[in-house]
Amino acid sequence: MIKKKIKIINKLGLHARASSKLTKLACTFTSKIFLIKDENKVNAKSIMEVLMLAASKDTIISLEANGSDEKEAILEIEKLFIDYFGEGE
Amino acid sequence: MSTFNIHGVPVSNGIAIGKAYLISNALLEVVHYQLERNEVSNEIKRLSGAMNEVKKDLLKIKKQLLKDSSDEFSAFIDTHLMILTDKNFSEKPKKIISNDFCNAEWALKKQMDLFVKKFEQIEDEYIKERKNDVIQVVERILKVLLGHPNQTNHLNNESSTILVAHDISPADALQFKNHQYAAFITDMGGSTSHTAILARSLNIPSIVALQNARELIQNNEQIIVDGNQGIVIINPSKDILEDYIVRQNLWGIEQKKLSKIKNIECKTLNDEKIELLANIEVPGDILSVKNNKASGIGLFRTEFLFMNRKELPNEDEQFEIYKSVARSMKNKTVVIRTLDSGADKLTSADTTISSNPALGLRAIRLCLSEPQLFNIQLRAILRASRFGKIKILIPMLSSLSELRQTKLLIQRAKKSLSNEKILYDDDINIGAMIEVPAVAINADVFAQELDFLSIGTNDLIQYTLAIDRTDDRVSHLYNSLHPAILKLINITIKAGKKHKKEVSICGEMAGDSRLTKLLLGMGLRHFSMHPSRILSVKKQVLNSNTEKLEAWSAKILKTKESENIETLIQKINQ
Repeated sequence: MIKKKIKIINKLGLHARASSKLTKLACTFTSKIFLIKDENKVNAKSIMEVLMLAASKDTIISLEANGSDEKEAILEIEKLFIDYFGEGE
Repeated sequence: MSTFNIHGVPVSNGIAIGKAYLISNALLEVVHYQLERNEVSNEIKRLSGAMNEVKKDLLKIKKQLLKDSSDEFSAFIDTHLMILTDKNFSEKPKKIISNDFCNAEWALKKQMDLFVKKFEQIEDEYIKERKNDVIQVVERILKVLLGHPNQTNHLNNESSTILVAHDISPADALQFKNHQYAAFITDMGGSTSHTAILARSLNIPSIVALQNARELIQNNEQIIVDGNQGIVIINPSKDILEDYIVRQNLWGIEQKKLSKIKNIECKTLNDEKIELLANIEVPGDILSVKNNKASGIGLFRTEFLFMNRKELPNEDEQFEIYKSVARSMKNKTVVIRTLDSGADKLTSADTTISSNPALGLRAIRLCLSEPQLFNIQLRAILRASRFGKIKILIPMLSSLSELRQTKLLIQRAKKSLSNEKILYDDDINIGAMIEVPAVAINADVFAQELDFLSIGTNDLIQYTLAIDRTDDRVSHLYNSLHPAILKLINITIKAGKKHKKEVSICGEMAGDSRLTKLLLGMGLRHFSMHPSRILSVKKQVLNSNTEKLEAWSAKILKTKESENIETLIQKINQ
């Protein structure tokens, strides 16, 4: 299991489009992937859960992956966050 | 069957005659019933089946979308698909069915209510709004369960069909898009609703905010939708019907003619280039801006950002929207008007009821009295300014001191951005709406201090003639051809010319093709209007010679009676 802290830097935070990008990406891995904010731990493969996490800009969340491709999963998902979810802002 | 009319807000032009097709609001139809133990597994199967059918539908829509649509819509469908296939969404109602022995519809709605409640607790306005996506997905499933899924499939394609709905969701709208409805009419909505945007992009008439059209209109009844005037005529008599068939034909012929001039350069017979810009209310209107080949956006109203919500939009949210509009217009002008509403529209602001709201604390006055709110908008506009050709437009200016204060606040916003090392266009143009008569009379002074002037004829007429257009008892006195109005417009155009500052009109007069020649003759070179008006104004421009029109316009400016002005204008347009 790997755990990594990530800061949300894109302006709108985990809004609908960013959430669907994240969920889509998470679903390409076999590992279990979770996002953790405060006491809430949600399944990154569920758009409903990701949306409900309501993570806005500058929130620091933990990314957790557990499974055979956990390394790649963390790496790729982190990339998405750093890349502002491809929104350029 | 007697004829009767209902009135609503016209949001897309045109005339349609056809049979009413009523779309039900599935959520209202859900009832509860108890199942026997042995019925449970079948009920779960029924629900899974319905979900699968909706999934297939959405995938089909998505496929059709790839060809011809905006990102905005395909993102909606994507989100809907993901919600639908999310186990959190799809599995729980099945559990409810097996625990409570209730029907699938009820289980689905029960779970949706739980989700909506959770969403309501989220503070972030943007994410909170996503509850609507969940509701819309549930509605689609309910419609399948209730046995009227693809309602559109049962349509008789021979005669035109008019969609009568309570409201239209984006996903519905997309599906309707492929069914060639002749018109959309809804009980709810406003000019910025999905219904309105879709109708405008499909170029079919649409009337919204009809209140209870779904109750008053029966399925299959014959109706006429006059999207030019906002009237729905139910069971028209033979005379009315014949009259409207003629009108519809004329309208159709006119539209066909107009589409031919779309790609022609907009210049007069004597080779003078005229700029025809578009007024927009929401970013979604850009589609029709592009369809009509506007040379830019002459008025981007920002009120929609502030309406129907509990909290005011923050800087980032505003910035994203301004940026997306600037970007999609590439290097074409985008004039963003700062907030132009009264305090009553701002939920957080003090809502003292004024007996004269049009003359009260609104537009720039409100912004200057709420500098924090104004600063957020100015910073958002400035930040977006490096992504395109943005200009700032100040509404309802009435004195120089207000202008100086506004400029000071813009300077401050710029400075704060510089301090934070955020880029913006330092040469951003600042203009003002000329709508208060005092400013029009003194246009010469204001033209010296501004980069451009934009005449808002609707308010200018209202303030000059002291007419409340929404008051039926005096609205007939509202007259854009009142000699005093023409004089004020003339003063403003001349002042712009003298100081080499661009003058445009962004009120309804700019989009009234009967007046194009008059305004050209008066020296107007920039017109901003509803995108649907652009081609008919362009047609007039192509047939005008500004040199010849000057003398004629001068004559009109000397005419003392509006009636005589009317006659002269009718003559030249014949």
